[in-house]
Amino acid sequence: MAASVWKRCVTAAVKVKCLSPSLSARRWLLSAAYTDTKVWEAREKDPQNLALLATTMDRTYDRNLPVSSLSVSRFVDNISSREEIDQAEYYLYKFRHSPNCWYLRDWTIHSWIRQCLKYGAKEKALHTVKNKVQYGIFPDDFTFNLLIDSYIKDGNFKSACSVVEEVMLQEAFDRPSTQILSLYAMGRYQATRPQLTVSEERALGASLLICGLQQDNTVGLSAQLLGNALLGKVEMLNGIHAVFRGMPLYWGHGYLGRALALMERAAAASGDVKLTKDAVDYTRDLLQELSSTSDSDSSGAESAGEEDEEKKEDHVDEADQAERAKLPQYVTRFKELSSQLESEGKVDSASFQDSASALAHQNLAAAEKPDLEQYLSRVQGWEADNRQLIVREKEMRKKAEQEKNERLAAKAAAQQA
Amino acid sequence: MAKKKQLRLIAEMARKIRAYRELKSRPRESQKYALDYGTMRRPHTGKMLPVLAWQDVRRESRLFSLLAGMRLFGVGRLFTRKSWLEDHTEPSYWQITKVKVDYTAENLDHGKAWGILTLKGKQESEVKEVDKAMYHDWRLVPKHMEQQLKDFVPGPEPPVRYVPYPPLLRAMLLAKHKKAAGSVLAEEPVLPLKRDVLLSKDYFRSQEQEAQRTEGTAV
Repeated sequence: MAASVWKRCVTAAVKVKCLSPSLSARRWLLSAAYTDTKVWEAREKDPQNLALLATTMDRTYDRNLPVSSLSVSRFVDNISSREEIDQAEYYLYKFRHSPNCWYLRDWTIHSWIRQCLKYGAKEKALHTVKNKVQYGIFPDDFTFNLLIDSYIKDGNFKSACSVVEEVMLQEAFDRPSTQILSLYAMGRYQATRPQLTVSEERALGASLLICGLQQDNTVGLSAQLLGNALLGKVEMLNGIHAVFRGMPLYWGHGYLGRALALMERAAAASGDVKLTKDAVDYTRDLLQELSSTSDSDSSGAESAGEEDEEKKEDHVDEADQAERAKLPQYVTRFKELSSQLESEGKVDSASFQDSASALAHQNLAAAEKPDLEQYLSRVQGWEADNRQLIVREKEMRKKAEQEKNERLAAKAAAQQA
Repeated sequence: MAKKKQLRLIAEMARKIRAYRELKSRPRESQKYALDYGTMRRPHTGKMLPVLAWQDVRRESRLFSLLAGMRLFGVGRLFTRKSWLEDHTEPSYWQITKVKVDYTAENLDHGKAWGILTLKGKQESEVKEVDKAMYHDWRLVPKHMEQQLKDFVPGPEPPVRYVPYPPLLRAMLLAKHKKAAGSVLAEEPVLPLKRDVLLSKDYFRSQEQEAQRTEGTAV
């Protein structure tokens, strides 16, 4: 364990501050090289007076002219205190509601998240990422990793899971580092056994499902199972429309059926892939809960008045009713499949959280390296774009001045003549 | 000769100014398509939505409600409509290429979008404006389902069916042919059930011109 840690410190490209990692459960996940701000600080600075920029932007908005993305990026880059973060949030909101909203630059978003983390405004960063419609903050995968990692370091797994939910809504689970971090965060959150509302269940289930689809191992498959089970529960209780509304999910009925098909595939598969025991237990508890609520519903409905029944039929679709009728079948099939899995030894006794941590230990270092290289090249690309924008702005200003001088000269000549 | 028409310059100018003001005060997309979800009325015109659409309006979302929460406003993603999912078994979807969002909307959920349509598995070649983007009918295709939709290969088109002509028309056709050619028409005239021609003003005009040419004078 210590050997692998030292190897990680040695092979990192940038000079790493080798702090001895604590062997307790609260580990940092991303290595210090990843979260190092050196590369970001080493960019060429463009010092601007924030008050001046603010007044210029206000004047441009008042005159109904478009504000360029360069001014917004300059504002965000030059933040130097906590109050200025609030001002920058306001200007980001205004920019999003201007004709140029499409042109918000990637480096501005990255710089905004970095500044929030630097000045201890993590809740602000989370707030803007959650309200991405209003602020236009769509971070890329590197930035998401930084944000999730900072929340994991604090031990705030609920917020880490909300960030993972945002990643899911963007369907940005492309990089293995993001997948590993999200699975770890969700595993830790799940282990605390929180009380979830319907929307939270839906979000957690969707993130588990979509994240697990990318991973082909025990953790991934268990995540898919848990995700399908949670979404199936929401589907049973509230109907399929409550499941996929506003989420990148498939609209087909039968999430519980898909969960059971997963178990069947895991049982039939020949490889080393297993399902974690607590995922299977959770699904069992869920199915029992659902069948008990449906039993109480059916006994309660007989005694309820006619009006209530009519209202219920309005809300519940035919297809949803058919789905609910399948619940006893699901329960029996689940019992068969779980016994089959146990007999084949495909049930992993480690909990979901532990398997996710093990996965993180093994693969995170390898996943970080290509990320870092891509980040370095990306930062250089951003700097080039930034310089190009500055040059273009200077040219446009010169041209505008020239035209203004010509117009003034023409007017003076006309007045004299 | 009648009196020369008076030059009404001021009226011309007023007309131009009125046209310009109308152009300037066009309602934005967000104003035109705003909807009060309680009474199902559009505040702009005061009209109510058709009753059969109410359930959809409550349950589904508009295209731009989905696009507002996506990176780059969902350029390059696929979107289906619930009505297509119900009507056709073959997949139909729009792939978005360009978006012009109405920035005066509070949630940026109105605007125009352009893209490439694939209807019933057949992809079109040009970018067109997305029709009915303001309908509450749209669903995002998740990335893990995209390949499934794109892989679909539409089956061969069923052959064109033919039916016999109605008896009077058939008799007229045979008589015409006998008058023109002098011999009895050997094969049965049949009517194809699929029309190749797009019916439009130009088509009818060209048909009239052809008829005039063949018939010569009226009498």
